[in-house]
Amino acid sequence: MRNGKAVVLIVEDEMLIRMGAIDLVLSAGYEALDARDADEAIRILEARLDIDLVFTDVQMPGTMDGIKLANYIRGRWPPVRLLVASGNAILEESSLPAGSRFFAKPYDDHAITDAMALLLAEAS
Amino acid sequence: MEQIPTEQMEAASTLAVVVSSNEPLLLLSEDQKVIAASASFCRAFDIDSRNVTRKHVRELGNGEWDMPNLASLLAATASGSAQIEAYEIDLRRPGQGVRNLIVNARTLDDGDRSRVRVLMAVNDVTEARAEARMKDELVRRNAILLQEVQHRVANSLQIIASVLMQSARRVQSEEVRGHLRNAHSRVMSIAALQRQLSTTKSGPVDLRAYLTQLAQSLGASMIEDPDKLSISVNVDDSTVGPDVSVSLGLIVTELVINALKHAFPDQPSGVILIDYHAAGDDWTLSVTDNGIGMPEGKDAPKAGLGTGIVEALSKNLLGEIEVSNAGPGTAVTIRHRENANSKNMLSDAV
Repeated sequence: MRNGKAVVLIVEDEMLIRMGAIDLVLSAGYEALDARDADEAIRILEARLDIDLVFTDVQMPGTMDGIKLANYIRGRWPPVRLLVASGNAILEESSLPAGSRFFAKPYDDHAITDAMALLLAEAS
Repeated sequence: MEQIPTEQMEAASTLAVVVSSNEPLLLLSEDQKVIAASASFCRAFDIDSRNVTRKHVRELGNGEWDMPNLASLLAATASGSAQIEAYEIDLRRPGQGVRNLIVNARTLDDGDRSRVRVLMAVNDVTEARAEARMKDELVRRNAILLQEVQHRVANSLQIIASVLMQSARRVQSEEVRGHLRNAHSRVMSIAALQRQLSTTKSGPVDLRAYLTQLAQSLGASMIEDPDKLSISVNVDDSTVGPDVSVSLGLIVTELVINALKHAFPDQPSGVILIDYHAAGDDWTLSVTDNGIGMPEGKDAPKAGLGTGIVEALSKNLLGEIEVSNAGPGTAVTIRHRENANSKNMLSDAV
C-alpha cells in the first residue's frame, strides 16, 4: 500500500498490452508499476516493500517465465497476491501457486479488476 | 558347404528351406552353433556364408552377435523354458550405425526329442523405427507449432482489446465510448471462439459450450450490474464447423449488443435469451429480450453497423431473418431451411 492505495506490479513484455494493463490498473484506482520481464520484476520487488499484487504474463523472455516468477514470488514474498494471464488457454493451474488466479488472454478488463479487488480484499 | 558332423545330420530339405528363406533365419543346435544360415541372413548382416556353419552365434561376423542377453534367451529357448517372441536387440558393428532387430526364436518340433534345434528369425526394423520416430517428431512439432500460433493469436487479440479499452476509457463522448466498447465485444467474441477451438482438438465446434462462453464474455464486458441484467443460453447438442460457428457467434454478439443498447433504457433489469436448435440440416437461432420492444415507424432506429453485420452473415449462412414482437420485448430469429433455401434465398439475395 502507498498513500492508502494498493500497489500493483504489471509484468508483461508486449508494450501495447503492458500500456493497456497499466491504464486498467490506474482506472481501478490502484498505483501501477511495470516490468518487462521476471528479472526486472524481481529487482522492483526487492527495491520496494509496498507491492500488494503482481499481475504477470506467462510467456516472456528472460530467465523465468510467469509461472516460475509466480512460484518464486510466493516463496520469497508470501503476502504478495498473484494474478497470471496467458495466451495459452489450457494451462495447468496446478503449476501455479495456491491462491493465485489465472486468466486466458484476451482477458476481459472487468474480470481482471474484479479479481484484483477480491485478491486485495483477502490480503488486507 | 562343409561336412556336417554325423551327430548333427540334418535332412537336406530342412537345410534347403532354411538357406533359401527370404526372412533372415538361423538354424541352431542346442549349444547355439549354426547348423544353417539363410542367404538372406548372411546378406543382411554382412556375414560370409561360406564358413558360417558350426560357428557359435557369438563368433558370427566380428563377434557383434556376442550378446549376453541373446545367448541367455537362446539357452532358455533350447531348454524349453521360454520362447523368444519379438525380442528387441540392437546390433552394433564398428563403423556402422546401430541396427534395431526383432528376434523370434523357437525350438523346431520334428518329432525327434533327443536333438534340440532352435530356429531363430531376425528382422531388421531400423528403417521402420526411424520412420515411426520421425512421424512422432513431426506430430510433436506440429502440436508445438499449433500451440505457438494459438498463443500468438491470443496475444494479438489481447493487444487489440487493450488498445480499444484504453481508448474507451479516455474518450469524452459517451457515444464514441459505446462504439469502442462494441468493437471490443466483437473482438472478444472472436476470441471466445478461438479459445473454444484451442481447447477442442479440431473439427466441429460444440455450440453450447461456445455460445455459453460467448455469453459470459459479453456479459462481463457489457453488463454493469449482473444482478439486474443477465444473458441465458439455451442450445441443443449441435456441433457446427468452425466457419459457421464464427458467423453464428458474430450474429449473436451483434444481437446481444443491440438488445443491451436498446431494450432496457428505463428499466435496467431483464433477460436476454440466446437459443439455438437444429433438426437435421435445418436450424433456428434466436436472440430474445424482455425489454421495451422495437419502436416502429419514424422512431425506428436507423440500421447501424450491427444490423449490416447480422444481415450479411445470415445471408451467407442462407438464413432468413425475422424480427418479431416477443410481448414484452423483441425476438430476432434466423431460420435456415435446407429445402427452401437454395431457391428462395438466392433470388431474394440478388
